[in-house]
Amino acid sequence: MLAFSLALIASCIRDKENTIRFSSWQSSPSEKRLTDSLLHCFAKKYPEYKVKFELIPGNYSEKIQLMLGTHSAPQVFYIKDFVAPSYLRYDVLQPLNEYIDKDTSFDIDDFYPQFLDAFTKNGKIYGIPKDFGCFVLFYNTDMFKAAGINDPPKDWEELEEFSRKLTKDTNGDGKIEQYGIVVEPSIDKLMPFVFQNMGSFQDKDGNLTLNTPEFQEALEYYYGLYKNNIATIPTDVSMNNTEEVFGRKRAAMVISGGWFVPQLKDQYTDVNYKVAFLPKGKQMATIAFTVSYSSPKENLLKEETWKLLSYLTGKEGMKVWTSTGIAMPTRKSVAAQLDYIKHPEYKYFMGSVDFARVFQVEYNERWYSITQSAMQAIFYEKADIPQKLKEMEDDMKSLRIKK
Amino acid sequence: MKRNSSTKKEQQFWAYTFLFFPLMLLAIFVFIPILFSLVISFFDWELMASQQNFLGINNFIEIFGDKIFYKAMLNTVLYTIGVVPIQTMLALFLAFVMNQKIRGRTFFRTAFYIPAVTSSVVTSIIFVAIYSKEGLLNSILGIFGFAANDWLTNPHTALISIMMLNIWTTSGYFMVSFLAGLQNIPNSLYEAAKLEGATKRQQFWHITVPMVRPVTYFVVVMSLIGCFQVFDQVFVMSDGGPNNATTTMSYYVYQNAFRYFRLGYGAATAIVLAGIIMIVTVIQKKYFPPNPY
Repeated sequence: MLAFSLALIASCIRDKENTIRFSSWQSSPSEKRLTDSLLHCFAKKYPEYKVKFELIPGNYSEKIQLMLGTHSAPQVFYIKDFVAPSYLRYDVLQPLNEYIDKDTSFDIDDFYPQFLDAFTKNGKIYGIPKDFGCFVLFYNTDMFKAAGINDPPKDWEELEEFSRKLTKDTNGDGKIEQYGIVVEPSIDKLMPFVFQNMGSFQDKDGNLTLNTPEFQEALEYYYGLYKNNIATIPTDVSMNNTEEVFGRKRAAMVISGGWFVPQLKDQYTDVNYKVAFLPKGKQMATIAFTVSYSSPKENLLKEETWKLLSYLTGKEGMKVWTSTGIAMPTRKSVAAQLDYIKHPEYKYFMGSVDFARVFQVEYNERWYSITQSAMQAIFYEKADIPQKLKEMEDDMKSLRIKK
Repeated sequence: MKRNSSTKKEQQFWAYTFLFFPLMLLAIFVFIPILFSLVISFFDWELMASQQNFLGINNFIEIFGDKIFYKAMLNTVLYTIGVVPIQTMLALFLAFVMNQKIRGRTFFRTAFYIPAVTSSVVTSIIFVAIYSKEGLLNSILGIFGFAANDWLTNPHTALISIMMLNIWTTSGYFMVSFLAGLQNIPNSLYEAAKLEGATKRQQFWHITVPMVRPVTYFVVVMSLIGCFQVFDQVFVMSDGGPNNATTTMSYYVYQNAFRYFRLGYGAATAIVLAGIIMIVTVIQKKYFPPNPY
């Protein structure tokens, strides 16, 4: 107890020093190494600034919100695009416009606009996107060759046709060992199909658009792959996620992002794969994921914070950060410099930028549980799709974030 | 006389001196938070908002129109009805057997108690593997010709699966309570019964069961409270899914407060839960007193 209160007092004193506190989650050891080297580069260039990295290993958003609520947030921290709306609705983050305008070397127009928009509200920028990832199609070239298919599926018809051809009972025991594609009952995997079908989750005014023919068709198509037994879901083959199903060769295709590439190279070395754009529906579409560096409004070190923030998201810092390819740069110039636009694998991520959308929902976080439950009801209980969509809308209506 | 009272005062002084520290800890980490949660249950409490909106009893009104809350309540009641009787009977039975002079008694006692001292997260993760579609349970059932079932994503079996896990982990724990109770039963009772020609079964029902009644009361209260609060297994194994089939009341409290960041609403659900537990305990105390003799 005594030690605890001492630590508490000590942390209060420390806050008054000129140390910039920086917090993030860390999804892999390689990300940790990258953060260390990035901060090392910053320290070399600006030895007069002290930065203290404070890792938040789990329950990240909960912890950051608690720290913001108790006025003890670090000066710089990550925010996921997915949860950004619930931060932007309160007056807790520092608008960065004045710093961006003052800092002539920063060049805000260099960013792809949709990633910046994810953290912008009423013209104020509350976070600088550090990188992005997006859903693309990974396909197993050996399985494709064995089925006599040369190219990845280009549209919904081909996706279905190829999946049917690739679904096989390889050892002849009457059970299917190899599925065409692996899907999962989750809204993020469904949304690219909805966007491809010209649908959306909510319209420009924020009204829900789940109960529309576009959304319904996309869901019926997506679920149909599973219903027709040409797709599997991870729990059906006792695995944790879709990537594992693909890596262990139980499915010929998977929808995943750039984060899957290192895993394929380290863990599933015997899988020969290629990357492709998601198949086209009525239009090309996919969803992109981005994470920002943001800063709290309550901050005694605003100038110092901008120095760090602008380095991390500046041309130099972003190049260090994205040079290993675990995430794609959000700056056009960095993408060009690293030559990712022509890279055999990364070009599909970079090329997706043209039609990729950031998926954000302006409803209380409970919307996610509601959609998740509905997806599970459809996949596990064969619930009626039009009725579920209507129910989802009704359940979510009252959760809309007031402006 | 005078000397006596001063000693008493002195005793009290020292009693409180020693109690001060634990009381302070309890106050900071238990009593104040409980009172505070009562306060915020009347607000639309949001962590990052600069001002909190007073809602009066609106949170409580919302609870009674909340479909998921009813589902969570139903799940919790089903869970309790399923777990408490089986757990109590199993624990008593195990204790009765373990109290006999059988070979390897120490080994079995340890074996049954191990799940109770193992972290619930660890046992949950092990059971996720056991329950999975290509897991141990399905391979055993497959020998007898049953079709494979994904226990945790099938809405009809998910809750039962978690119930079975909980029975397994806590029976051993309560077995120890019963063992202590059994060892307090005077041997003369059994000897007298034997002389009268009572069988082992008769001894169990007419001596053991009534004599351990105070322990049974303790076990039932503790496991009732434990069941109403079940959280960790749900958190690790199913996240309340599929389709809210395993959302229990305490998990719903957590979801509201820390997933949806509706701390006021979460606190209100927690208070309703506390009220229900209190009512159940009072009823139990009234109709099943610990010591009727």
